[in-house]
Amino acid sequence: MNGGWRAWLRLFAVQGTWNYERMLGVGMGYAAEPLLEDLKTVDPVRHTEAVVRSAEFFNCNPNLAGLALGATARAEYDGAPGAQIARLRTALCSPLGALGDQLFWAGLVPLLIGGTLIGVVLGARWWAVAGFLAIYNLSRIATGVWALRTGLDAGMGVGAAIAQSWISKAIERVGPAAGFCIGIAIPLVGAWYLEEIGWPAAFGALAVAATGVAVTRWFGASLTTVRFTLLALILLVLFRWVLP
Amino acid sequence: MTDLSPAGALLLILWGTVVALDLVSVPQAMVARPVVAGAVAGWIAGDVEAGLRVGVLFELFALDVLPVGAVRYPDYGPATVTAAALAADSPWQFSLGLGAALGLGIAVLGGFSLQLVRRANARAIQQLSAALAAGESGAIRRLQYGSLLRDAARGAGLTLLGLGCAWVLARYAWLDRSTALGLTLVAVGCALSAVIGGAMRSAGRGPRLRWLGAGALVGLLVAAFR
Repeated sequence: MNGGWRAWLRLFAVQGTWNYERMLGVGMGYAAEPLLEDLKTVDPVRHTEAVVRSAEFFNCNPNLAGLALGATARAEYDGAPGAQIARLRTALCSPLGALGDQLFWAGLVPLLIGGTLIGVVLGARWWAVAGFLAIYNLSRIATGVWALRTGLDAGMGVGAAIAQSWISKAIERVGPAAGFCIGIAIPLVGAWYLEEIGWPAAFGALAVAATGVAVTRWFGASLTTVRFTLLALILLVLFRWVLP
Repeated sequence: MTDLSPAGALLLILWGTVVALDLVSVPQAMVARPVVAGAVAGWIAGDVEAGLRVGVLFELFALDVLPVGAVRYPDYGPATVTAAALAADSPWQFSLGLGAALGLGIAVLGGFSLQLVRRANARAIQQLSAALAAGESGAIRRLQYGSLLRDAARGAGLTLLGLGCAWVLARYAWLDRSTALGLTLVAVGCALSAVIGGAMRSAGRGPRLRWLGAGALVGLLVAAFR
């Protein structure tokens, strides 16, 4: 099977056609195309069926999509029944979504962003921003290569390969580290803004912060922090207008 | 706001397009994160400090978002770019609040425009459903490239609109110093409430909450003694 590198590159755009009907489906079909090319000469009918299956509904974290892509492509070459491959795709959605979201969106990204904010506040500025981009993208590229290779090697046995992989252990470690980093960043960033304005005025900002936390928790999804902020800014301007 | 040359404005629109594409479509290299988008936009606008101040502020709001599944969220990338352009070349204490107000409006609009693009993608898929059912690889490619173009147009339009609003605000929205400072204080307070709320929600009641608390203690000590 050829086309591994092209498929890996195309995985960077796996969310390109994101929609509420097939979600990542079409993006997966686009990434699968180079992998399935050899099947066209071996078994054209099977190739057509495989292309149809590759673009059907699919959803997971984009950084782990390579596992599903590689596994289903391998299964197509191994001649697994079409219904079984479709079931594998469906079965992989939830675990790959949950694992990837915990590892990246709730773990690595807040960890590195927390570090970046600390770096910016302490004066590292461009170095902090460049360091964030470098570390995140190296981690993500390494994960993407591993995911596609593991999927291609494991085929229908990809579930066992995921269970034995490093992902669960990484999630256990990265979550608390992210919490710690964000914890350090919050007071540092607050002080970075407020110490230059002056602490008497800063108490007003801290009162707004406390009110915001309480009110948005109380109202839940109906009053997001963005809505609360826009409301507070508009009220302030109106107040200043009425009572100059 | 800096007097932007046509080349500068074009660069900002290009950067806004790149960060809008990066959020979901391609390549998700995290240049859409506000701290990155703001620093580069500030550099293009000739005021890196303002870009960083705006970028860090919007990053606090963005940390409240967990982009899982089909969740809907504001698009902070082009919003940060336009807010950084508005805040550039003025003392940040007086320009950050107005920049935040503009940026948050653009971010909400950006989130809405993302839904429009997703619905347009679904319509395009329905139009090519026969070709997809026949296993035509060309149809998949056409859908993919069409969707990327739609998202790029969304990003460019959003940034253009934001820069237009920034120009109008810089020219006509005169605020006295105390109101401008008040807006900045409210924006900073709200951003802190966003990041605290988001961090507490993510932490739950497990060990992550304890680590969050320990980190906050360390952060307070560093802030006090640095």
